[in-house]
Amino acid sequence: MDISVVAALLWLAAAPTPPPADEPPRMDFDLPEPGTYELHRIMRAPDGPVLTVDGELDRLSQFTRGRITLLGFIYTSCTNPQGCPLAYRVFDRLKDEIRATPALKDQVQLVTLSFDPARDSPSVMKRYAGSQLEDEGGLRWFFLTTPSVRELLPLVEGFGQDVQYAEDRSTGRPIRQLSHVLKVFLIDRAGDVREIYTSTFLHPRAIIGDIKTLLME
Amino acid sequence: MLKKSIASISAAVAIATLLGGLAAHADETCNSPYMAKLIKGQEDYVYVWTLGVEGLGDGSDKLVTVDVDPKSKSYGKVIGQVSVGTRGEAHHMGFTDDRRRIWAGGLAGSDIYVFDIGTDPGRPKLVKTIKDLAARTGYIGPHTYYALPGRMLVQALSNEKDKGGVTGIASYNNEGEFIARYPMPVDGGGDGYGYDLAVNPTKNVLLTSSFAGYANYMRPLGELIKDEAAMKRFGNTMVAWDLKSMKPKTIMQVPGAPLEIRWSLKPGDDWAITAAALTSKLWLVRPGAGGQWQAKEVGTIGDPAKIPLPVDISIRADGKGLWVNTFMDGMTRYFDLSNPEAPKQTYEKHTGAQVNMISQSWDGTRVYITSSLLANWDKGGADNEQFLRGFRWDGRALTPAFEVDFTKEKLGRAHHMKLGSKVLRTAYVAPDAR
Repeated sequence: MDISVVAALLWLAAAPTPPPADEPPRMDFDLPEPGTYELHRIMRAPDGPVLTVDGELDRLSQFTRGRITLLGFIYTSCTNPQGCPLAYRVFDRLKDEIRATPALKDQVQLVTLSFDPARDSPSVMKRYAGSQLEDEGGLRWFFLTTPSVRELLPLVEGFGQDVQYAEDRSTGRPIRQLSHVLKVFLIDRAGDVREIYTSTFLHPRAIIGDIKTLLME
Repeated sequence: MLKKSIASISAAVAIATLLGGLAAHADETCNSPYMAKLIKGQEDYVYVWTLGVEGLGDGSDKLVTVDVDPKSKSYGKVIGQVSVGTRGEAHHMGFTDDRRRIWAGGLAGSDIYVFDIGTDPGRPKLVKTIKDLAARTGYIGPHTYYALPGRMLVQALSNEKDKGGVTGIASYNNEGEFIARYPMPVDGGGDGYGYDLAVNPTKNVLLTSSFAGYANYMRPLGELIKDEAAMKRFGNTMVAWDLKSMKPKTIMQVPGAPLEIRWSLKPGDDWAITAAALTSKLWLVRPGAGGQWQAKEVGTIGDPAKIPLPVDISIRADGKGLWVNTFMDGMTRYFDLSNPEAPKQTYEKHTGAQVNMISQSWDGTRVYITSSLLANWDKGGADNEQFLRGFRWDGRALTPAFEVDFTKEKLGRAHHMKLGSKVLRTAYVAPDAR
């Protein structure tokens, strides 16, 4: 069967829903106190056209400036527990912690950006977001996609969110898969990336400390 | 091309959905834990960062690609080389976290060469030369390239001012733009020297080791060892840094130039091991009772009185065994690390007149060895063998599988190795690469 047909069938069968809770890795060490260390400017966050869940065309910079931003790439059909579901769960936990901290709640925004525009349409992203779209307690969580790969490419490249082919040859027959190490980007109010986390070592307490460090500048 | 790229991405994302639960396994045991795209089974290539030799080929440093797929018609053969057009004591290299590029450098200066291996892993391409390390930091002799998310840590060996061993670490983003510098500590017992670095993110710790400066490593070895004052100018410390803040936390005294650092990759393990070159000792680094990082001598390599000079180590993926290469006697030794507090040698083999780097596949069944240490430290005459040798390891003995003679092939002095795979290609291709 042609792989595109398989994919299409799979797509029809699997409606995207928010992923199950996956716990971040254990962190058995003390982090430095916020403000006692420096987060250097790593690079400028890229900009380009994106679509909101309502299908409105806007610039990504509209969602990555003015507040401290956490941005992560996902695709709604991702099932790797150490990938997109973990990032979703971490964002969900961050949301709760930020809302519970008065000093943070009007200072931070979350952005989830799909790197599968062919399937993650605005309506799919809206369904994926569910109730997370509601602006409670001053925290905003944006779910964005792009009109097509043409608009996505500069964003993926600009952030350095790599996507590569891998191949499992343990069976003796090549099987292609797309692998990615999911990254989450901490962007300051001016639009500079100040920290990059990978899903393997993505922990809310570390992220909160970094946000507080940026707010103390 | 863009249309093709879009189509392939859509298909790939769909396939990823199907296979999303597949776990990845690493190809080498010494890479950064932040690295992606790890080889699950048989590697296809060994990239060898090679020192140029005057009068041999073009005389320049080069990245040599060797086919190591046993099923390939060109198995054990050189299938490509990329010359950087100059000779500068090519030494070590490292992957970026996305495995799209290899950074490699020379100890004679401060230039860093960036090779694209993501577009076509079988045909590396020199895409950038970073030239501002010395100007930005004052450091020279870039040695270790260690991936952090979206950026690289570069551990230098020396400094521009006096070419001694006091040096530091630089960080760059993956595009080669300078971010920051971190001097090695010179207070609280620190000697300011650097060599290797390795991260354990689950402990928020960065470990560094220490070697020597330009004035020592560029000097002929026979001359150097007779200079008592110069022989005192080797590193004697390891440092545990707070990774988040990049600040030194604990300075440990490890005499005799501790070199490569290998963390146990077994989940839950909290220790790293290193070998001190001049004293021929194995050292274990782990937290003590109070949680502070401590270094402890745990083993002896060969006969230290004969100065076998352990120069590289390679740890098994499960942390249960360690390969050690000693340059002077050309021996490859295997230590049982079941108890890391008491490594026990269980095997040894003479693998060359001079041996330096050693790498093993993730499953431990393939072992690769190269020959060159430094241009002025390599042996002379017939002992100056320059090679990449592949071996099979069945748990009892190393069996030769292939050999590439780097002199006969007019390549140079074979030094650092990295494994490559033809299937680890970039899916999203940068517009300028299409």
